[in-house]
Amino acid sequence: MSDGSNMTDPILPADVPADEGALAQGGRDAMATLQRAQQLVRDAQAAIEEASRVVGLGNGAGPSDGVEARLVAAENERAELTGRLADVEHQVGRLMTLYVATYQLHATLDPVEVQTTIAEIALNLIGAEQFVLLLIDDEDQSYEIRLRQGEPTTPWAQAERYAGGDFLVDAALADGGLRFGPTAQSSALAVVPLRVQDVTVGALVIFKLLAHKPAFVKEDHDLLDLLGAHAASAVFASRVYSKTARKLRTLESLIRLVNKG
Amino acid sequence: MNAVKNRKVLVVEDSRLIHKMYEVMLRPTTLVSAYDGRDGLDKLSQSPDVDLIILDINMPKMTGLEFLAQVKSTPALAQIPVIIVSTEGKEEDVARGLQNGAAAYLRKPFQREDLLKLVNRLESKQPAA
Repeated sequence: MSDGSNMTDPILPADVPADEGALAQGGRDAMATLQRAQQLVRDAQAAIEEASRVVGLGNGAGPSDGVEARLVAAENERAELTGRLADVEHQVGRLMTLYVATYQLHATLDPVEVQTTIAEIALNLIGAEQFVLLLIDDEDQSYEIRLRQGEPTTPWAQAERYAGGDFLVDAALADGGLRFGPTAQSSALAVVPLRVQDVTVGALVIFKLLAHKPAFVKEDHDLLDLLGAHAASAVFASRVYSKTARKLRTLESLIRLVNKG
Repeated sequence: MNAVKNRKVLVVEDSRLIHKMYEVMLRPTTLVSAYDGRDGLDKLSQSPDVDLIILDINMPKMTGLEFLAQVKSTPALAQIPVIIVSTEGKEEDVARGLQNGAAAYLRKPFQREDLLKLVNRLESKQPAA
């Protein structure tokens, strides 16, 4: 790098006003600025050389080895950060799925819409091809089959009510625990009890997954857990609301009748 | 990983749950929502400036494949890339979708990363708005 000693005088445009004093002063200022810049470059170069020497000493090797080692370390760190970023992206996706499922379950107080949402979660987010939804009948505490998707071939799934007899379904309805199959006594792949306030209000029974989904994955367990709790409270709330709304309509009709009389 | 920014995406899908999913996953993209193929064509006639279409297959009134055929046979719309996102995941389903003009096919259930990769890939092939 040039040290500036061979720098020529500044070249000025030919049509500058012929004020020689001002020109000379401008040239001196420019030269001084250039010299300051050159000094800064020399200082920076010296600092880089010193830094390289220190790095080399710190690694117990020559300056070049030290820089190389730092490059390797930086590359490893970059690879690790890339992996962590991918993990975080995946987690964000999982949380979004759980958020949307919860949001949609509680977005309505219409019992039919709640059932539709449960079916959409089972099909679109879990990948269930054949499943039934059992919901408790408040009158006699038996379980009705309220929703049937994909024509499951299991005999009891063809009936209007679940009369018992499937080992996994019976166990899940009895203790409210999530069950996975199939077993010798049950063809269900999963039984998700819908439980709220220690009462099992129903169950989602999955018999078959979509052809391109060979098995449940880790994320499905979170979703099935969430479904068990949130679908239950959504079903419960929608039923209470619809009963209350019906009673309210009856009372209003009665009041109108009394007022007319 | 970013979704399409400052672009307009038409979502043709009968599930409100999945509409919500796209809204959350593709934020801050502007979404135009349609709930079946016929509704999708109506929305396209109102907003022909969409940059991308995300399409379901099984829908009432007009299926995704019928909608796709209409879009691809309309010169003004034929260049809009279409991603099919469906539970129909057999090889022949995928092949049929691609043969009918879809730019990509994603099976449900899908991961957010996979959707964003596809959307960003198709975005990079298009001139900036």
